[in-house]
Amino acid sequence: MNTLAEQFSTTSALSKLKKTQALLEDEEMSDAMWGSQAGFGNVAQGSPSFAVPAVPDPSAFLRLHTDDRADPNCKIKIQHGTTTLAFRYQGGVIVAVDSRATAGSYVASGTVKKVIEINPYLLGTMAGGAADCQYWETYLGMHCRLHELRNRERISVSAASKYLSNLVYSYKGMGLSMGTMICGWDKTGPAIFYVDSDGTRLKGDLFSVGSGSTFAYGVLDQGYHWDMTDEDAQELGRRSIYAAGHRDAFSGNTCNLYHVKEDGWRFIGNYDLSKLHYDGPNNVPGAGYGYDIRIAGRASALQPAVAAAA
Amino acid sequence: MEVSFALTGKDYVIVAADTTAARSIVKMKTDQDKIKILSPHLLMAYSGEPGDTLQFAEYVERNIRLYQIRNLYALSPSAAASWIRRSLAESLRSRNSYAVNLLVGGFDTTTQEPHLYWIDYLGTMTEIPFGAHGYGSYFALSLLDRYHDPDASLEEGLATLKRCIDEVSKRLVVSPDRYKVKVVDKDGVREVEL
Amino acid sequence: MEYNGGSVVAMVGKDCVAIACDLRLGNQALGVSSNFPKIFPITDRIYLGMSGLATDLETLRERFRFRVNMYTIKEEREIEPQTFAHLVSSTLYEHRFGPYFIEPVIAGLSKTPSGDLKPFIAAADLIGCLNFAKDFVVSGTASAKIYGLAEALWEPDLEPEDLFETISQTLMNAVDRDAFSGWGCLVHVLTKDKVITRTLKSRMD
Repeated sequence: MNTLAEQFSTTSALSKLKKTQALLEDEEMSDAMWGSQAGFGNVAQGSPSFAVPAVPDPSAFLRLHTDDRADPNCKIKIQHGTTTLAFRYQGGVIVAVDSRATAGSYVASGTVKKVIEINPYLLGTMAGGAADCQYWETYLGMHCRLHELRNRERISVSAASKYLSNLVYSYKGMGLSMGTMICGWDKTGPAIFYVDSDGTRLKGDLFSVGSGSTFAYGVLDQGYHWDMTDEDAQELGRRSIYAAGHRDAFSGNTCNLYHVKEDGWRFIGNYDLSKLHYDGPNNVPGAGYGYDIRIAGRASALQPAVAAAA
Repeated sequence: MEVSFALTGKDYVIVAADTTAARSIVKMKTDQDKIKILSPHLLMAYSGEPGDTLQFAEYVERNIRLYQIRNLYALSPSAAASWIRRSLAESLRSRNSYAVNLLVGGFDTTTQEPHLYWIDYLGTMTEIPFGAHGYGSYFALSLLDRYHDPDASLEEGLATLKRCIDEVSKRLVVSPDRYKVKVVDKDGVREVEL
Repeated sequence: MEYNGGSVVAMVGKDCVAIACDLRLGNQALGVSSNFPKIFPITDRIYLGMSGLATDLETLRERFRFRVNMYTIKEEREIEPQTFAHLVSSTLYEHRFGPYFIEPVIAGLSKTPSGDLKPFIAAADLIGCLNFAKDFVVSGTASAKIYGLAEALWEPDLEPEDLFETISQTLMNAVDRDAFSGWGCLVHVLTKDKVITRTLKSRMD
């Protein structure tokens, strides 16, 4: 009786999960086990369902074992640490991200794709839990397509981001961790929305998310203006990711750059930050972004020490 | 939230620090000078635990002065910075340690070179072309990597400093609104208006 | 140990030793300086590398300079690597109950009774437990990663230039997998008649 009341008393994600879990225990096989529908087998049925640890408080259990900020010795270290940025300007939207994934001090990967191509007109960026972002943004992609089929027009960036925001908000408090920017071009023109797992959703011209975001902002804000050329805008995106990769221990390796225009997004390139440091984007030795490279041959001494001695 | 910056340029060091003295959520004072003039060619910006900051800065100031009186010449910037670092490192392992972060900028009159040292409350020291303490460093350092020029004139240096201050005002949640800026070069120490 | 970051490694070769470190000084995730060497010459044929808390690194450097100078004056001869290793160990153990957060690595060439020079390396933990290895010793935030590469790349009796290549590849590739080390590398190779010192161009992210 109690369980029956509970089933219908709330619609929160947690109770849904508990409900599904009870169902799963009854059935021999879950939908997910069939593995059809591009791996989203359980999603196609309607609201997604997840297996939950059989403990009184699943989210506290998860936190206990995965929150390495509260306890650096925790057994499972979820990958985090990132720099992502996106800005709107006269020529569309620039999206630039780094590609480093760290687990503790270990650089687990230097080739992570942190831009998720939701559909030809929508991009999502990835900061926080890698799996959370990947899963929910792919899921968002499915729903954007359904929207297109139902309404015979593409979903607006605003609606797509609101969909994601509502979705992650329903899991609030259960340990989802994502800070993402949904970028694209719709009827209203270029648009960027910042969505995070707290439930925050912001419309704006310029955002940066992740551990290296402050460093990216430092370069981005100083170089940004609305009337930039496409070339300058791409350069600014690259330069800002480089700056963050340089100063932030948890960002780096390579920069992935995207440009969104009226006809959808275009992948501009993948740039090794080490190459950017020494040789710059055009591979010219000595034309790198690095401080020591940039100031080579210049010094703050009133006169060179050698000349002073002579 | 305290913020301090320093950068070197052609024959000078600029040291800047915010001027707010805060206690809890209250601004007690908005024109506090947090840059000490240690000798004719030496500046020190200090920030950190209220109380410790001024006590330690004055202790350093008097000892550097004492050295000058005894020896009839001032310590070089590198020697002064080493002495200050050691004082902090010794304090760290005492019962009551000073929690003070410093930027020591000076002009070495013997070699005609400007020097800037970054020192934290643990006694970590390193010589750098530009540096910052407090939350400002997270915004300013990447910007300085991009715009700092060790060969720049004083005007250009101050313009770069202005960029840092503007950026912090733009992005830091509670940012200071006023800064004191001092410069040290071959002619000694002076305060400048931005 | 992860507060400032940094790593050191030393390796034995044929009649030579090499010691290398990264150049990063960090304040947790924030990189502060890319010119912070962690290796210092003690005598003409002893080099000391330290990783750990940067303030203690500087304090210990001053302390060892003082103690080695006192030794040299009293004994009227240069200190031997073995003796210096024990000096390091006892200095660290003196602070058993409030340690310096430093893991030292020593590389040197010691004199044999016949007058030859023999490679010597040693490392210690932060309270002075000595480890005299015959192949290589490591310390710092990238130590586990350095071990992996060193086990794979090192071989006995490497000539100075080969040893330089081995230690450089070991360190550079290890620090690229460590978030708290990197920002340039410094390598010293000690041979009978000279010390080769090189700064390596490495990833700066």
